[in-house]
Amino acid sequence: MKSFDLVEPATLDEAIALLDSQDRSVRAIAGGTALMLMMKTRLFQPTRLVSLRQLDGDLRGIRVNEGGGLRIGAMTSLAELEYSPLLAGTYPVMSQALRTLSNIRIRNVATLGGHLAHGDPHMDLPPILLTLGGRISAVSRRGRRWIPISDFFVGYYQTSLAKDELITAVDVPGQSPGVYCWYEKFTARSADDWPTVGVAVWYSVDSNVITEARIAVSAATERPMRIAVAEALLINAPATRQVFSKAADAAADEVQPIADLHGSASYKREMVRVHVRRALEHALNSRSNGAG
Amino acid sequence: MAAHYTESAAKVVEPPSKIKRKAPGSGQVKRSVRRLESKAKVDGSAEYIYNLSLPGMLYGKIARSSIPHGKILSIDATAALAIEGVHAVITGEDIRRLIPDPYYGPAFHDQPILALDKVRYAGEPVAVVLAADPHVAEEAADLIAVEYDPLEPVFDEVAASKAGAPIIHDRLRPAATFPDLKYLQGRSGTNVALSGRVRRGDLEKGFRESDHIFEHTFRNGKVIHAPLEPFVTLAEMNGPDGLTIHTASQSPSFVRSEVSRLLGWPENRVRVRTAFLGGGFGGKLYIKLEALVAACALLVRKPVRIALTMEEQFYTITKHGATVRLKTGAKKDGRIVAREVETWWNGGAYADIGPRVAQKSGLTSAGPYDIENIAIDSHAIYTNEPPAGALRGFGVSQVVWAYESQADIIARALKIDPLEFRRRNILREGRPHATGMLMTDVDIDAILDRLAERMEWDRPLDHGSGTIRRGRGIAIGIKACVAPTTSVAMVNIYGDGSCGICCSTVDMGQGSDTAMAQIAGELLGVSAEAIRVIHPDTDVTPYDMATLGSRSTYHMGNAVRHAAEDARAQLLRIAATALQTDIDELECRDGAVLTRSGARMSRQITPFWMLGGAGAEIEVDTETGRIRVTKLVNVGDAGSAINPDIVERQLIGAGTMQFGFTIFEEMIINEGQVVNASFADYKIPGMLDLPDDLTGELVEVPHRHGPFGAKGIGETGMFCVSPAIGNALYDAIEVRVMEMPLTPERVLRALRQAQDRPLTSD
Repeated sequence: MKSFDLVEPATLDEAIALLDSQDRSVRAIAGGTALMLMMKTRLFQPTRLVSLRQLDGDLRGIRVNEGGGLRIGAMTSLAELEYSPLLAGTYPVMSQALRTLSNIRIRNVATLGGHLAHGDPHMDLPPILLTLGGRISAVSRRGRRWIPISDFFVGYYQTSLAKDELITAVDVPGQSPGVYCWYEKFTARSADDWPTVGVAVWYSVDSNVITEARIAVSAATERPMRIAVAEALLINAPATRQVFSKAADAAADEVQPIADLHGSASYKREMVRVHVRRALEHALNSRSNGAG
Repeated sequence: MAAHYTESAAKVVEPPSKIKRKAPGSGQVKRSVRRLESKAKVDGSAEYIYNLSLPGMLYGKIARSSIPHGKILSIDATAALAIEGVHAVITGEDIRRLIPDPYYGPAFHDQPILALDKVRYAGEPVAVVLAADPHVAEEAADLIAVEYDPLEPVFDEVAASKAGAPIIHDRLRPAATFPDLKYLQGRSGTNVALSGRVRRGDLEKGFRESDHIFEHTFRNGKVIHAPLEPFVTLAEMNGPDGLTIHTASQSPSFVRSEVSRLLGWPENRVRVRTAFLGGGFGGKLYIKLEALVAACALLVRKPVRIALTMEEQFYTITKHGATVRLKTGAKKDGRIVAREVETWWNGGAYADIGPRVAQKSGLTSAGPYDIENIAIDSHAIYTNEPPAGALRGFGVSQVVWAYESQADIIARALKIDPLEFRRRNILREGRPHATGMLMTDVDIDAILDRLAERMEWDRPLDHGSGTIRRGRGIAIGIKACVAPTTSVAMVNIYGDGSCGICCSTVDMGQGSDTAMAQIAGELLGVSAEAIRVIHPDTDVTPYDMATLGSRSTYHMGNAVRHAAEDARAQLLRIAATALQTDIDELECRDGAVLTRSGARMSRQITPFWMLGGAGAEIEVDTETGRIRVTKLVNVGDAGSAINPDIVERQLIGAGTMQFGFTIFEEMIINEGQVVNASFADYKIPGMLDLPDDLTGELVEVPHRHGPFGAKGIGETGMFCVSPAIGNALYDAIEVRVMEMPLTPERVLRALRQAQDRPLTSD
């Protein structure tokens, strides 16, 4: 490993000043769980790492927003999220997903900001956030902007975050009661492996007719993404196994899976079919909000 | 006093004196003593070589080949040497100046300390950068520019064995340590390092007399040992003409003799010591880093440390991938009358101990069955993949996967219960094995009985409906222990009556320190917890072949037993003359005395038989192909267990390891490049993956010559897990997968194929 500078700024302004929009070898580091793997394989060789560990104040913690949603600081660790009663009360689907996210050693140090900024399609929370909706606060020398979550993931390990921008918080809107949520994760190897496919669903039902629906697929695809054709099949349809199957078939036809160590493209397409259907069914069985 | 235990089979060396063999019965054996090192491992004070640093030492970082096969045209270290802090760059040619013939290996002298003239696998060490700062060494190692003239590579073991395949080694150079390989000396134009054969009866006649003939080919992928402590070696000058090697090795005695041979030094100038090992599983046998680090230290006249990363393990040693073709003839009643086994072992670029793996596991590859007509061929093959060597079971689990999967196929085809089918065919006491050796101290019926009981075989299984289907399966397996081999031990009784055991058995987590202390303690009337086991140091502890092949309890255990008996006899004599009192009353006030006993050899292939069985219950998700093992029972014959708890955990540990190999572990090698060479991408089982019901079950068939009736069991739990799960898979969904691991995708593809709606391929 080449030697590099590790700087630990005490304020957000200093941190931003230390980032550089031109030099790709200058990067922010939070928990480091993903970045260290890339450094070990020399996919990434930094000249300067800007550690965000000292920026605890505003960037860490979970608060209730107006409208009953939550604002989650970017430096909040995944373990803090996992054990947060606030999160469990508002988005049980997230709390449950966190319990199977890698392992406790990773969750203790990995942060929400890093989890999103990494842009890895195999992460667990992005598809869930795509269904819950929300926005990401990005700060740079140019000031702060809010990026809708739906615009954030743009490609394979690519986000719409600029090189000199830092995620400071994530806003997730309050959920109306009676919404059905679920995250279905399928690992082909060990339980703590990255998923072969992850599927998040969110839908509301009125008089046994689906009124609104969101389906997001991750891991099998180049980026976490909503599957509009499958969602369209659900709306105004009854919440039945046949309808769910139809939506699952549509999702499987729509995705363009990428083959990797977790499975071939054709296997992943099949797993999208199975797990979209299962997610929709499990959401209904869980009654609401992904509470199993 | 020292006892020397050389053993090839059932003949045991008697202790030198005629003292009565009756143990004082101090209750040390057959007791689940807690491991002596438990506290030190918990509080962090246990010694590991990985934690060692020496004053003034340099860190070495290896630059590795980027291609699987090619001539080295040039190695340019200019850029590496320009990095500030780089002390030296060492290449194969530098080594050749120190060691004119720098090729090593336990079976063949085929592996250069650093690549010379050509490279034979992607990841092969080509140069070493030495620096006082490990990060500087790593940065510089990336800058070493090697120019290659690529040669055509070959990766598949069957293809590599055919005429016309690219040749990996110009000529074969068997090591002198194995006299029986001498006939291969100088052979050229082949990638077949060795072909082992066994013939019994008349195979063709057997097939002619068969009512049914079954022929199948089974495959095993490559996996790795994955010890928590990666390979690490340090070397330092010891005076003007000596060398001390600190290394995480399972075979310190072999390291001493091989490094001495390479240097042309007498063995007494090379000292090799080890500490606790953070796992070995066969990976840390023979020579791995030791010759390289020793050569570097001698070239720069400074202490040198090379510690591999977890990722570099994938380029050092693997388990053999193997193709097994099995043809079996059976009568209508299920009796097997003829069996032909041909196995191709993917040994990778260097033989390591691969030829012995091929040979030894070949001997038992017809299974624990009483078959009149047998032909076995077992080929060790060179390919352009990372080298393969010993891995817990020494090839046995690969052949058990084949013969126990086929046993299930045959039983079902003939409509015989799989357990009953085995009862009709197993080898029983006094019957000849395929090799002609008579079976002694075995009771496979007892293993089947225990399996039947623990699996509740008589109870019908609910196979389920819908997308989750259940199934169960069993398997049995056999292994011969290594022979002939030697172990030497010394038991010292110090002035105050405390006791120390000097032996070169390496405690790598299997609990050997505790077992040796129990054996000595039993005879000396001392509690095992009060005995100190001195770790291998070739200047201090006597010779031992190596810690491998489940041999330590039996061989070293016998050596310790003899040494302790000898000590006890001397104490008795002293007591008789001086105190006129009984040994139990005696306090020792003498120093250590050394004696020797002779050695015998035998033609028999094994001193004891290792027998095991496994049963599995599983659930299969028919929509994803994912297998969940709900119950895994591993039965092993331990002789009389010295420490029942440790033995049970050995079975569970081995079962867990093989469970990972069965369900998802696999090195993905694409055109010779390991694609998943990290533990982010190569997954091993965690607690959440384990079966809810996971047990080790002891069957105790006392061995007439084992120390207190004990025999080895470290590998037994590996043998049968894969076919038990594979057979359970068939029981659940009537799909047979012939290749390991049984990944969800592989299972789903097989299932969809059987349903005539195959998944498309990419």
